Amino acid sequence: MLPLERYPKEITLRDGARVTFRPMVREDVDLLWDFFQRISPEDRMYLREDVAKKVEVERWARSLDYDAVLPVLALCGGIVVGDATLHRNRTGWKQRVGTVRILIDPDFRHRGLGTAMIRELRHLGEKASLHYLLAEVIEEQQAAARAFEKLGFERISVLQNYVNDQKGKLHNLVVLLYPMSDADEEVLY
Amino acid sequence: MAKKTGKPGKGPPAPESGGYCQTCGLESGVHREQHTGEKRECPYIGLAYPELRAGHDRIYFGPWRKMDAGPADVVRAYNQIGRHLNSIERVLGGLDLPAARRDHLKAVEAYRLGDPRDDSQEALRFMDNALSYAHRVIDDLLHERGFPSHAPMEFAEWYDAVEVPFRDEW
Repeated sequence: MLPLERYPKEITLRDGARVTFRPMVREDVDLLWDFFQRISPEDRMYLREDVAKKVEVERWARSLDYDAVLPVLALCGGIVVGDATLHRNRTGWKQRVGTVRILIDPDFRHRGLGTAMIRELRHLGEKASLHYLLAEVIEEQQAAARAFEKLGFERISVLQNYVNDQKGKLHNLVVLLYPMSDADEEVLY
Repeated sequence: MAKKTGKPGKGPPAPESGGYCQTCGLESGVHREQHTGEKRECPYIGLAYPELRAGHDRIYFGPWRKMDAGPADVVRAYNQIGRHLNSIERVLGGLDLPAARRDHLKAVEAYRLGDPRDDSQEALRFMDNALSYAHRVIDDLLHERGFPSHAPMEFAEWYDAVEVPFRDEW
């Protein structure tokens, strides 16, 4: 079970900025849309959904299902400054594997928010009885990769020229895996 | 100290009244020694988990990590790490923080592998790992209470450390 009772959760960044974590709700469409507009097209490329279209954000909000995807927003001064998502499969062979994605407002990078959001997702993953958390970052995102590694994610693979950006340029993809406490236990279905 | 058994160390001696800093747990005499006899306010006052932060930093900035460290420095640091891990375990207590608990276990495991009296070539690396995992647990505890991670370099002056390594936070 995801411990949603822990929200809203207020955290303080090293520079004193106060940020609130809470799950996204339907009414967050405009806040989230504003957030995505502040993200560069290069960074938006890493998202699954095409958030350059507001209709996509609206569709996303309408179909919220925390058991499948839990989006945790970071808010500061009434605006969204970070979005961390925990993706899970209810059934199937990957039901013990969670995928994490984190997007941080450019003005809030290198201030500890990304690290705090990884820490938050790690806690949620543990509480959801997952066995692994998986993260993917473009090799150029070195600070993000290091933050994941500092919190126990292991770099398991670097896929050469695996993904392309909007201009068609190819990039290496770093795959990071976080093995959790129950990873060695066999699960009977 | 119990070697390679369940507990990494026996914990610090019971403080005598007035003999230890009420905030960080350091001996009052050491406080003065570290600062050329001047009495200065403990830098951990008012912070969350001051004793764990100070416990970490005392080891982190300790002589065992310097080029001219002797075997006694290393053994002393090893014992300090053991006591530090015990202190963390006491704080973790009944808290529902599985990630922190696992990092603590990893720290204890590294600690056991890093006994410098075993003539291990990698003792220093394991001790470093144990301290690093311990740091991660402290950061988890801080995060849970909404505080930023512990940054030892912010306390470097207290330990007369001048080297400032590159710190990149995301």
